[in-house]
Amino acid sequence: MTRVFLSVALSLVLAMPAMAEPVAKPIPIGVAVATTSNIALFGQEQVNGAKIAEAYFNAQGGVNGTPIKLVFQDTAGDEAGAVNAFQSLITTAKVVGIVGPTLSQQAFAADPLANSAKVPVVAPSNTAKGIPQIGDYISRISAPMTVVAPKSLQKALALNPGIRKVAVLYAQNDAFSTSETSVFQEAIKTLNLKIVSLQKFQTTDTDFTTQVTAVLGSAADLVVVSGLAADSGNLVKQLRQFGYKGPIVGGNGLNSPNMFPVCGALCEGILVAQAYSPQADLPVNKEFVKRFEAVYKKSPAQFSAQAFAAVQAIVEALRKVEKDTKKKITAMDLAAARQAVNKALLSGMLLHTPLGEISLDPKGEVNQKQFYVSTIRMNPGGKTGAFVLTK
Amino acid sequence: MEDFLARYGFLFVTILQQALLGLSLYLPLMAGQLSLASIGFYSLGGYVAAIMGTHPALAPLRDALGFYVYPLEWLVALAASTILGAALGYPALRLRGIYLALATIAFVQVFGVVVLNMPIAGGAIGIFGIPQPFENRLAYVWFFGPLLVLTLLFLWRLERSGTGRLFFSIREDELAAGAMGVNVTARKVQAFVLGCALAGVVGAMSAPLLNTWNARQGTFDAAVACLAYVLIGGRRSKWGALLGAALLVSLPELLRPLQNSRMILNGVVLVLACIYMPQGIAGLFARRKA
Repeated sequence: MTRVFLSVALSLVLAMPAMAEPVAKPIPIGVAVATTSNIALFGQEQVNGAKIAEAYFNAQGGVNGTPIKLVFQDTAGDEAGAVNAFQSLITTAKVVGIVGPTLSQQAFAADPLANSAKVPVVAPSNTAKGIPQIGDYISRISAPMTVVAPKSLQKALALNPGIRKVAVLYAQNDAFSTSETSVFQEAIKTLNLKIVSLQKFQTTDTDFTTQVTAVLGSAADLVVVSGLAADSGNLVKQLRQFGYKGPIVGGNGLNSPNMFPVCGALCEGILVAQAYSPQADLPVNKEFVKRFEAVYKKSPAQFSAQAFAAVQAIVEALRKVEKDTKKKITAMDLAAARQAVNKALLSGMLLHTPLGEISLDPKGEVNQKQFYVSTIRMNPGGKTGAFVLTK
Repeated sequence: MEDFLARYGFLFVTILQQALLGLSLYLPLMAGQLSLASIGFYSLGGYVAAIMGTHPALAPLRDALGFYVYPLEWLVALAASTILGAALGYPALRLRGIYLALATIAFVQVFGVVVLNMPIAGGAIGIFGIPQPFENRLAYVWFFGPLLVLTLLFLWRLERSGTGRLFFSIREDELAAGAMGVNVTARKVQAFVLGCALAGVVGAMSAPLLNTWNARQGTFDAAVACLAYVLIGGRRSKWGALLGAALLVSLPELLRPLQNSRMILNGVVLVLACIYMPQGIAGLFARRKA
């Protein structure tokens, strides 16, 4: 009873009158990622990728002649920050769709808000189970790593057929690493290999003596690491310094040039599973890499390419809406435009992104065809390096 | 007005929530004990509510209770925090000053690692899809508002009661209080457990608010943020936690138009507050009265 009374009272106070509000020109698209806090490294890469997308699509004429404008809001690293950023984009910036947030945990807090406001969200980097299931307005272009992890293992086996004993290490406080390691462990069992050592660490750790000693004691001939760039870099460095000579397979968290300054020359030879490779031979990727390198003087990371693809998904959805309804987006009511964009997103249209061909299924889950396995090759001096596609 | 409420409703609720967390630090500080354990109990309370709200085995209970499952969650969190608080408090409060602070930080770290390894707590992703009692997040004012008013009333009475004066006597001089016959350890544990219990209930209320709960809620960073509310607001007054939380939570949001430089200005304000208001914001008002 209380509940009924309270909700009625509040809905009277908060009743948002359904005012017809037009879509602003240029068309605002929200980007809510972490540009501050301890995950800002990822967020910054996402901002870079999104900015290239804005310039790229506006150079193409935007949405059939109407330019787009990205509105950036910082979510910081916590859940409350993500909610506030989403709120600001929805009510103040009046965006037609949102790209973000950076972490899956933030998505679980902020996405329901966008969903109840009927604003489409395209997640550029949320890989946890259950993200598209949050609601009808939530989709993602970041593939869960179930497909790609086994591939890097197979590659390692092909290069070193003698491998039998595997040591698995993962960051237990990182959502992505814990789900990735279970995929790795599953794949190891399917390949008839034996896990001789299973070690956990924290993404904030710097000293890995305990884990490294255990791995060396188990006489493993393959090491599989799931973690983030800084911790995994230190872990690999200490593994090599303590005398581990065998191959190392890294998860997607090691797929970042931020590794290089941490493990230096000792990064050499790590096999990494990737959802994106700057070397992918696709026209849109070549253009993306060219523009990215011209502005930021480095090659784009996966987070940047995924942010680009997320913006692309919304832009192409906007174009599809105009084509299907034969009406200008800017002539539409904001609420109707948001719903139409979401419908277009989930219509299964094929997107030619730097990640390769992707499409979204009606539930908002991504279908990505192509994945990559690369080897880290360090330049002489051990300061810089590159991910080279493994043949 | 509607736009304003929609835009800042969640922020307002967050201020109340964080103020309550600040007050949970103020309680042990009344007896002079600097404890950072609150955030651990906040995390515990959140997990209690998240598990009770989502665990499939408890579905019949949720259906039977309806809305009353929320008060039940608070009570369970309260009981769990009180018991764990007392168990932790007795050994920990034999330590003084900086060592107590370190022991409570250790507790927060240990608790974080423990929940990461408990399958029921969902590992690093945590628990998500926690049922919402309200459609709109501003409506959580009905959770946090009354709790804040009750807590402030309780503190107001406590400060004037014998127990409160015993707390203050320990804060001013522990040795002298002991010499006067105050049971120092018992009083310190009492103040500490009160703070833990409050933090636990706030956590249980916060899990539905955030819709998700994970180990990132109870980190050292969050503990320091709560400590900052009390230090910036004023650690010798109950209003300090309230003012500190209001300032520190709203500042980054109000500065949002400044984009990336907002965190710089946020930091500058904090540094200036520390230098020019050593007694906190509440201290400013106290001096004026005197």
